[in-house]
Amino acid sequence: MSMVETIYMPSENDFRGKTKKFNGVQNGGKISNGCHKKTKQVDEETEKAWEKDFCETFEETPMLAAISTYIGYLILVAVGHVREFLKSIGIGVVKCVAEPKIPGFVPLYQTWESFYSWYVYRRIQDCFCRPVSGVPGAKMVVIDRESNDHRWSFQYTGGHSTVLNFGSYNYLGFSQNSGPCAEEVEQTIKNYGVSVCGSRQELGYLDLHKQMDRLVADYLGVEDAYTVPMGFATNSMNIPSLVGKGCLILSDELNHASLILGCRLSGAKIKTFKHNCMKDLEKNLREAIVDKQPRTHRPWKKILIVVEGVYSMEGSIVKLPEVLRLKKKYKAYLYLDEAHSIGAIGPHGKGVVDYFGLNPRDVDIMMGTFTKSFGAVGGYIGGSQALVNHLRLYSHSAIYSSSMAPGVAQQIVSSMNIMLGRDGTREGEKRIQQLKWNTRYFRRRLQEMGFILYGNKDSPVVPLLMFMPSKIAKFSRESLNRGMGVVVVGFPATPMTKCRARFCLSASHTKEMLDEALQITSDIGDLLAIKYSKAEPPSYSENDVPLVEDS
Amino acid sequence: MVPTGEITMNIGTATSEENPTHSYLGSRGIWITYVLILLITHFMLLTIPFFSVAVAWTLTNVVHCVITYFMLHVTKGTPWGTPEQGKARTQTQWEQIDFGQQFTPTKKFLTVVPVAIFFLASFYTKYDTTHFCINLIALGFSVIPKLPQLHGVRIFNINKW
Repeated sequence: MSMVETIYMPSENDFRGKTKKFNGVQNGGKISNGCHKKTKQVDEETEKAWEKDFCETFEETPMLAAISTYIGYLILVAVGHVREFLKSIGIGVVKCVAEPKIPGFVPLYQTWESFYSWYVYRRIQDCFCRPVSGVPGAKMVVIDRESNDHRWSFQYTGGHSTVLNFGSYNYLGFSQNSGPCAEEVEQTIKNYGVSVCGSRQELGYLDLHKQMDRLVADYLGVEDAYTVPMGFATNSMNIPSLVGKGCLILSDELNHASLILGCRLSGAKIKTFKHNCMKDLEKNLREAIVDKQPRTHRPWKKILIVVEGVYSMEGSIVKLPEVLRLKKKYKAYLYLDEAHSIGAIGPHGKGVVDYFGLNPRDVDIMMGTFTKSFGAVGGYIGGSQALVNHLRLYSHSAIYSSSMAPGVAQQIVSSMNIMLGRDGTREGEKRIQQLKWNTRYFRRRLQEMGFILYGNKDSPVVPLLMFMPSKIAKFSRESLNRGMGVVVVGFPATPMTKCRARFCLSASHTKEMLDEALQITSDIGDLLAIKYSKAEPPSYSENDVPLVEDS
Repeated sequence: MVPTGEITMNIGTATSEENPTHSYLGSRGIWITYVLILLITHFMLLTIPFFSVAVAWTLTNVVHCVITYFMLHVTKGTPWGTPEQGKARTQTQWEQIDFGQQFTPTKKFLTVVPVAIFFLASFYTKYDTTHFCINLIALGFSVIPKLPQLHGVRIFNINKW
C-alpha cells in the first residue's frame, strides 16, 4: 500500500510552506489515527521546537542609504586630503603632534596611519569617551564640555547633565551605591581590607573566594567554578591552558577580542565560521575531521567550538541547541562565553542555557563575566570538577595575578544571593522579569516606529542602525541635549554601511523612562529620517512577560 | 594634545574586523557607487564647453586611471592604526583586498571597469591615433598592476617601504 501524505508546518513569522511527503509504510507499519507516523520526523519536530520561538532579524541595508554612506565617506576623505595637502605646504592649521623629521633617521610612525583619526574621527570626537561622574545606574551625570578648536581639545564648562543611561551594561540594575549589596560590601572591606595582594596559589585564597566559587557553581548548575578578577583575562589567560598546539579552535567570526586573543595565545589552529550559521559550522567540523592537521594529517587532539551567548554588537543569541547537537555528533568541546547573557536572559536569569531550557552539564566550559549583570568586575569559568581542578593549577591567572578584591567578591556574593532568592525576598525574580518586559516593550515599540533593529527579540542589547557617519554624530549630540545618553559606533569599528547606536536596557529602567527615551528617539528619528524599516510590524509583545509586583 | 589613532578608535576590539580594508570594497552597494561617481565625473567633464566628446572620454579614462592607481597601488597600509601591529603596512590596498586572494569578485570587478572604459573611450574617440595611445597607456597603468603575477612586486624598489 502506498500512500502519499503531505504535512504543512506553519511557523510563527511567515508561512514557509514546508511540505513533507513520504510514501509507503514506515516503521513497521505503525498506524494510529489513520495517518502514518515516522518517529524520526517526530524527533525532528521536537528538536526544532526551539526554532518556533527564536526570532532574529538582520534587515538588509537599503541601497540608497548605502550609496549615501559611501559618498559621505568619500567627501570626508577628500576634505581630509585637502587639509593634509594644505598642512604640507604650510598653510593649513592642524593641531596634531607630528614626528620631527630628523635627517638620517628612519621615521618611527607612518603619518598615513593617523589620517582617519585626525580628519574623520576627530570631527565627531565629542560623541565618544564622554566623562561621566557618579554611579552609572538608570540615570547618569555627564560632565559638560565644549571645544573651541574644532574638537582637537576640550574644556569643561563646569556644568553637569543628568541623562537617562542607555550606554552602560547594567542589565539587572545592580549598579547602585546604596542598598543591601553596598552595605555588605562596606562591611567586608572593613573586615578584609581593600585588596588581597596575593595570587590564588600563594595565600590569596580567602574563605570569601571559596564561598563565591561555590555560589557561582550553584547559580550555573555545574559541578564547580573558578573565578578570575578581570573579565578580559578570564578568556585570554584560560584558553591557553585548555588547548594548545595540535588542537583546532572553531570560533564565530564576531567573537570578542578577548576570545580571539586567548585563541591566538594558545597556539592552536583557528578557523572562523560565519556568524551564528550552523551549516557553516557543520561544514567546518566535517572538513576538519576528514582533512585532519594541515601537513602531517594526524587527527586533531581536540576540537573546541568557541561561541558567545549574546553578541553585544549585533544583539543576536547563539543557536545553542543546534551547537550542542553538532558538538555531540562530532565529539567536539564547547566553550560558551556568556558575558552578556548571564543574568540577562532566561526565565531564571541563568543565561542562554536557561533560555533554551538545556542541561548546563552539556556545555563543557561555561564562561561568563560579572561586569554586566552583577555590578562587579571579573569573570568565572564553570564546568566539571576535573576542568576546574586543572584550571586552579595551570591557569595563568591563578599563578600570576592577584585574586579578586574582597569588596568585589562580596558584591558578587550579595548580588548572586539576591538573584537566587536566598535573601528571602523576590527581588531577583522581580529584576529578571522587569528586564525581560523592558526588552520586549522597547524593541516592539522601536520596530513599530519603523527603525531597523538588529538581533533577537529577547536580547537586552538593541542596535539601532543609522548607516551614515554624520547621522550617528547628530543622533548622539541631539539625544544628549534632550536627556538621553547612548553609545554610537561607526566605521572602522563596524562594517562601513552599518554605523549604529546601541541601547543597553536595564532592569532599573522604569516604564516612564522607557517612554521618555522612545519619544526622544522617535523625534530624532523623524529629524534624521532614519526610520528605514520596511519589515512588517513585530509579532511578539511584552504582554506574555508577567511582572512581579512589589509586595 | 590629542592622542592619535588606535587608542581612541576601538578598531578590532569588541566584535569588529581587525582591518576593514580587506572587505569594504565588497560591501553592499559600493560597486554601484563607484560606477555612479564615474558617470557623474564623466558628465561634469562633458559639460565643459571647450572639450569635445573625444577629449572628454579620454580625460575621464585618464583621470580614472590616475586616481585609482594612486588609491589602489601607491598608498600602502591603512589610514587607521590596526591592532594587528602593521602587518599590512608594506602592502598596497590592492594587495590587502580579500587577504591577498586572487580572482575574487571584487578584484575581477575592479579589473573589468578600466577595460570597459577603454572600450567606450576608443569608440567615442573614433579610434583616433593620439587618443588611442593615451588611452592605451592609461589602460596599461590600470590593468598591469592588478595582475596576480605582480602581487607584492616592487619594480626598481620604488614604494617598497
